[in-house]
Formats: sequence, C-alpha cells, structure tokens
Amino acid sequence: MALLLFILPVFFALSVLIVPKQGVRAYGIIGSLAVLGVVIACMMQYNNDGTVQLFAHQPWLAGITISFGYDGISLLMLLLTAVLVPLILVSNFKNELAENRLFTSMVFFMQLGLIGVFVSMDGLWFYVFWEITLIPIFLISWWFGAPERKAALMKFFIYTFVGSLAMLAALIGIKVNAPSFYIEDLKAVVFTSKTACWLALGFFFAFAVKIPVFPFHTWQPDTYTKSPMAGTMLLSGIMLKMALYGMIRWMIPLFPEAVHCLQWPVIILATIGVVYGAVIAIKQKDMKRVFAFASMSHVGLIAAAIMVWDFDALSGSMVQIVNHGLVAVGLFLAVEIIERRTGTRNLADLGGFAKQAPKFAFWFAALAFASVSVPLTSGFIGEFLMLKGLVQFDMIIGIIAGTTLILGAVYTFRAYQLSMYGPVTREQFADLHWSELVVLAIIIIAVVVLGVYPALITDFVNPSLKIVLQTLSTPSGL
Amino acid sequence: MDALIIVFASGLISLFAAFAKKPWLVVGSAMAGLLAAIIVIIGQLQTGKAFFDFLTYEGLAFDQFALLFSLAICVLTLLIVGIGYERFKENPVHTGEYVGLLMFSATGAMIMTAYTDMFMFFLGLEILSIPIYVMAGSNKADVRSSEASLKYFLTGSFATGIFLFGLAWVYGATGTFKLAEIYMKVAEMDTLSPILMIGVLLIMASFIFKVGAAPFHFWSPDVYDGAPPAVTGFMASVVKIAAFYAFLKMFAICFGQGELFLFWKDALIVMIIITLFVGNLSALRQVKFKRLLAYSSITHVGYTLILFVSQVDYFFSSGFLWFYMFSYGFSIVGIIAVAIAVNDPEDRIDGLRGLGKRNPFLAIVAIVALLSLAGIPPTSGFFAKYVLFSAAWKSASWLVIIALINSAISIYYYLKVIVTIASPADQEQEKIKLSPLTIAVLTIALVGMLGFSFILPLLN
Repeated sequence: MALLLFILPVFFALSVLIVPKQGVRAYGIIGSLAVLGVVIACMMQYNNDGTVQLFAHQPWLAGITISFGYDGISLLMLLLTAVLVPLILVSNFKNELAENRLFTSMVFFMQLGLIGVFVSMDGLWFYVFWEITLIPIFLISWWFGAPERKAALMKFFIYTFVGSLAMLAALIGIKVNAPSFYIEDLKAVVFTSKTACWLALGFFFAFAVKIPVFPFHTWQPDTYTKSPMAGTMLLSGIMLKMALYGMIRWMIPLFPEAVHCLQWPVIILATIGVVYGAVIAIKQKDMKRVFAFASMSHVGLIAAAIMVWDFDALSGSMVQIVNHGLVAVGLFLAVEIIERRTGTRNLADLGGFAKQAPKFAFWFAALAFASVSVPLTSGFIGEFLMLKGLVQFDMIIGIIAGTTLILGAVYTFRAYQLSMYGPVTREQFADLHWSELVVLAIIIIAVVVLGVYPALITDFVNPSLKIVLQTLSTPSGL
Repeated sequence: MDALIIVFASGLISLFAAFAKKPWLVVGSAMAGLLAAIIVIIGQLQTGKAFFDFLTYEGLAFDQFALLFSLAICVLTLLIVGIGYERFKENPVHTGEYVGLLMFSATGAMIMTAYTDMFMFFLGLEILSIPIYVMAGSNKADVRSSEASLKYFLTGSFATGIFLFGLAWVYGATGTFKLAEIYMKVAEMDTLSPILMIGVLLIMASFIFKVGAAPFHFWSPDVYDGAPPAVTGFMASVVKIAAFYAFLKMFAICFGQGELFLFWKDALIVMIIITLFVGNLSALRQVKFKRLLAYSSITHVGYTLILFVSQVDYFFSSGFLWFYMFSYGFSIVGIIAVAIAVNDPEDRIDGLRGLGKRNPFLAIVAIVALLSLAGIPPTSGFFAKYVLFSAAWKSASWLVIIALINSAISIYYYLKVIVTIASPADQEQEKIKLSPLTIAVLTIALVGMLGFSFILPLLN
C-alpha cells in the first residue's frame, strides 16, 4: 500500500508524457488526487501511537539501508504535499503551462522527491530525495520562468547544493561511527559536544539555505519572483517545509548534544530573519516580492520555535507549517490572478479591483486575514503557541519575534490596499474563474476549520512529537 | 585468461574482416567477441572455473578483481565500439584498423588488471598505449588530431621511460619483478632504502601521468580535445580503469606498508589537492565541450586518488574503485555518445543549445550523464562518490571536505552545460536522427547511470 506513494508519482510523471495535449490538465489532477487518496489511506491505517511505522526495512549496500516509514509528523507533511499539489495544478488551470506535459511530469517528479524526503528513515535516502527535489524545481523554473531568470536560478541551485553538500559531509561524519544509515543507528551514536556541534552545523547549513534563515536568504526573493507561479508555490508551500521537517526529524534528534551550542545562534538568526523579512516586505514595490519576503519572515518564526524545542512550541510550529503552506499558495495565486489580468505586479500600477471583482476581493481579503493570523484562522493558534514558547525561552526574543504580528499586518494590508482599493486603474478586471475560486475557497475553508478546531492537526502529531522529545531529553537534559 | 584470448582473437578477426570493406562486418565481429568475453567473464566469476586454465602464465592471474575490472573494460569497450559505428560508415576503409587497434588496446588494459609481475605490467602498458597513440591521430584531416597524437606519443613514451627507470631502481633494491616477492622484500627491510624510495617516486610519477593528475596533466586537455570523440571516450574510461587498478594493485600490495606508505602518501595528498583545484578551476572557463570533459576528468582523477591515501583494506578499495570507475565510465560513454551524435565541428558547449528540441532522448541522456558526473542523486555517480568519500572519511576527513568543496565548485560548470542543453536554440536546427545501435548504446548507458548502484548488492 505505502509503496504506492513512490509508484504513483513515477507512473504519472512518465505516463503524462504520452497523454494527448488536451487531456494533460485532467490527467494531472486525477494523478495528484490518486496520490492524495493513497496518503489518506495511509493515515487511516496508521494507529496513532506516535511510533514510526516502517513499511520497508532491509539492509542494502555499504551501510545504506532501505528504510522507509512514517509517523504522525511525516504523515502530516505527506498530507500537506498531497493536498497542495492538486491545488497547485488546479490554480494553474487557466495557464498555457497546464497543457504542458513536461511541466506536469516535473510536478510529479517533484512530488516523488518530497514524498521520499518525508518517509525516508535512512540518512542517505533522505539526502538522495532531498537532492532529487532540486532538479525538477530547477527545471520548472528554468523552462517556464520569467525571461531574466537565469542568473537567479543558477544562484539558487548552487546555493542549495552547497548547503546540501555540508549535510552530506555531516552524514558521512556520523555514519563512520555507526553500523548503518538507519535513523535509530545514527541516533545511537554519542559524540563529544564539540564534534556534535560541527556535524549539526553541517545539517543546519543545508536547512538554513532552504528555509531560508538570515543571512542565507539572498537566493530566495529573486528565485521566487523569477519562477513561474507553480514553481513559487512549490518552493514556498512545500519545499521549504522539508527543511523544517529535517530539523525536527534529523538535526536535533541526531545531535542532541549540539542543541546547547546551536540553540542561541539559530534562534537569534531566525528572529533577525523574522523582523528583517517583514521590514523589507513593507518597502517592496513588486507584489510577489512582498509575499516572498513575508514567507521568509513567517518561516523564520517557525525555525526559531522549533529550536526552542518545547512541546507546545513544536506543536504550534506543526500547525503553522500547514497554515503557511496553504496561505502561501493562496497568496501567490492571488498575485498570479492580478498578473494574469493586468500583466504587471507593480503595486504602483494597480488599484481599484475590489469594485470590479468583488468575489476576488472577498477571498483575497480572507487570505490576507489568514496571513496575519487573526483569531479563528489556523495561523493564530500556530503563532500563539510558537510565541508562547519563545517568550518562555527568552522574554526579549519573544517580544522581538512577536512584532511579526504587527509588521505582518502592515505589509499584507498595504499590498491588499494598494492593489484592491484606490482609483480604478483598469477598464476591466474579470472576476474569478471557477478554478481560481475553488482553490481559494478550499484554502480558506481549511484555514478556518483548522483555526476553529486545531486539534485535527495537534491530536494527530502530538503523540509523535512526544516521542521525538522523549528520546531527546535523556542525554543532554533539555 | 579466456576473455583475454577472445578479445585478442576478435581484434585480429576484425582486422582481417576489414578487407571486405564492410564496416558492419568489422564492428559485428568485434562486438560479438566482446559479448562473448563478457559472458565468459561472468561465467568465470560465478563458477570460478576457466576453460584455458592450463595456459595460466605465472605473470598473469585472473583473480576476482582482475575479472571484475576486465568486465568493466569489456562492457565499456563494447559501448565505445557501438557509438563509433556511425563514423565508420563515413570512412569504411579505415574501420578495420581502428576497431582492431581498439580491441588490442583493450587487451592491453586487461593485461594491466591481471598482472602479477612488473614485466607483464610493462607489456600490458605498452599494448594499451601504442594503439592509442595511433588512434588519437586517426582523424588525419584534422591538424588537432595529429597534434594530439604526437603530443600523447612524446609525453607518453617519456612517462614510460620514467616508469622503466623507476622499475630499475626498485629492482635494484629488491632484486625481483614479482609483486609478491617485492612485497616480502619490502616487509623485511628494517629501514627504507633510498634506492627503493627513488624507484617508488619515479613509478608513481609515471602513473600520475597515465591517469592524468596534476602536475602531470598538461597533455590531457589537448589530447582529449584533439582526438576523435570515441577515442577520447576510450581514454577517459577504459584506459583510466586499467591504469587506476594497476596503480592501486602495485601501490597497495607492494608499496602499501609501514613507512613506505607514509613516504609516498604525503606526496600524493599534495598532488590530489592540486589536481582537484586545477581541474575544477580550469574547467570553469572552458567553452569547448571536450576540453571541459578533459578538465572534469582531471577532477575525477583527483577524487579517485583519495582512495589511495585513505588506508582502507586492499579488497575494499579495489571494490570501491571498481564501482567508481565503472559508473564513471557509463557517464563518459553517455556524454561522448551525445557529442558524437551532435557532431558540432567546432565542439562548442553552445553547440548543444536546443538539444531538447533536436532530439529529446539525447538531451535526457546528456542531462543524466552530467548529473552523474556532478554526483547528484539518484544517479550512480552520486553513489560512487559517496562510497569513495565515506571510505576515505576515517583517515582523511579534511581531504574529503576539500573534495566536497570541489564538487560544489564543479556543479557550476556541469550546470552550465545542462542549462545550455535545456535552453532553446537561436535559430531552427535540423533534428538529429539516431541509428538503432546508437540508441541501444545510449539506453545501456542510461540504465547504467541510473540503475548501476542497484546492481551492486547483487554482486556481493
């Protein structure tokens, strides 16, 4: 059953190449829904006790094992991936891109890589899938991105690849002391805290580039703006969650000794990123850039909360991971909707669409509220729990990170106001197409449902988080 | 031994088949011979028995590793004969010589993997090298090809001379040519004799030359660039496999102990670091495709040499070397086949522009081959690199980190080629048609690049 998680994306990625052009849209959506079905079936099957349920576990060559499995955290990430991919495909419905076989195939390859990252219980396979995701996203952006994308994408690829090599070095460094790459074997290795710090730093470097944490973020705004909309959604919606997941699953459990030396620097960097991203977002003229920096700010907060390594903060960050995935996809779709109709994203040239497209104005406003985490949206629960953890950790850090709520309102509503209100700038502005409406509605409904009843997420991941925390509390006495 | 005889005989047959002036006959007999050799080797690996056992000469021993490396040599030679076929049809007169020389060279390579005696090694080296001197110049209409041939011949024979000189010193110190006896003699020595040390250094220099590592690498970009593409592919894959294994065998068995190891290890580490940086930094600014491959292959030599200083067991390092070189060979064959099919007379990287439109299959093979060379998962190039680095980590972790930094640098130029392939061409270009044989070779190379790492557990 769980093997279908691998088989289906590969099958659809290859078979979509021979589907006739007019069928590609439907085929892509059918394929992604099939994957979603498999993920849901896996969730049903999973008895929610928090342990890792392996569906493949056998030795392979040179200490690499074929170990794949999932626990609550993995399943939540899988679900996020499986929900967002069809949403991304549907939101792309009106683009010519949706007819492109190569594009749809690459999306499925991307999904394969993401699924692999979330179910790998072997260090090397984690690395392998981690790298696999890079190739389709690079090709999507390279083939279908904005005209002046090349330099930005080269930077993106090299940046992330260098980061990943640091992780590979750390993985090899830990493996030489362990019998195999299986996660439990790796966890069993005990280091002196100095070695552990260096090795954990290798992991952190890879994750910091992908999240991105200040000052490793310079690739991010350019890549986001130059990628096609679907590429940006994949990047911000799911791909950077790989790094957050990696911190919870790999970096901290493997090197509990290193938490002491890394905790402060990482939290400080992440908090700087929170404020820095938000302040820069306020000044941006390009609407996509506003949300690119906003994404950096939001994710910085999640990274900081994970490093606090406190139970509430962790479950808050899980909620926020889901929330951010949904909202980011929605916001980039909103930008795309405006760009499709007007041909520009420059805030100075926009305005007055609220009158012409009331439906769009409503759903976009709902998204903006979700993005600034008003109560009753899932962002509120997530940010509240995370900030609570940060304040408990250190009052000043908590307060500084808390400014994200205020600054977030400033840049989101500035972007909303400049684009939707003010004098009418275009003669006509068509209201939402059904495909756009479906995506926005699903996102908003999900965000609100999770905001009212966050236990849907927390009940599911908490047992697993407890186990992750328990295994850790022994050696370093956190 | 069986495979050696078969390859040699089929080389002879294809030489005589050339009188018929039918390229398919020449290529067919060579390929049939190589296929037979592959089957025989696999049979011998499984049963441990050989037909020509009674012919065993004490200078050659086809043990497990010699067989494995011979297998790699036969497979890659087979692929290279296959990709050269289109060119032979244009020039049927010289097909026989060319294929025959290729087969003899492969024979020499197999001798180099199975030698147990310095004298036999020298024979193998010459049988390997002399046909290549000729083949490098086989494109007589091109000045650069002649230059490549002459350059390779002059520097190559000089290196051979240095090897002989070194061998004389080693003989002076130990009084024997046999590997096993040299090993005993070196082990008995209380203090290292300076005569032996000079000999070892000279031999190492000649090996470094043969594999093309800095500071003895200057021949390789010119020769790789000038030689016909199939010969370049042969040099980058088969010759390297043979030279590396012979190098490993000699240095791990005879000179790999105690103080002597420490003595040449430091020298080699310096050369590795120079090789990695020289290869990578020079590759960054290349505009010609084969020149880029030449520098990238210099870098790969640097990675491979890390295995020599990493103090792992001889059996392990031979296994790792085999895996690394075989998967590297697949990528080289794939990329060279693409270069041949594109057939850009000026051989610019920009000539690959729009390849995806001209022939999507070719573009996929090229991209996978470049990813494999760069060591990006899930290609076998990644697993090969990983196996190598993890073997070296314990004794030389800082060297591994230098190598990782270098793989990060190398991403830039591989990526440059990949994006060139993925970019649209400036003007409309004609489509490339592939012959069935080329498609077969490309498919094998593609399967090798993607799935080779999955075969390995079966072989254990």
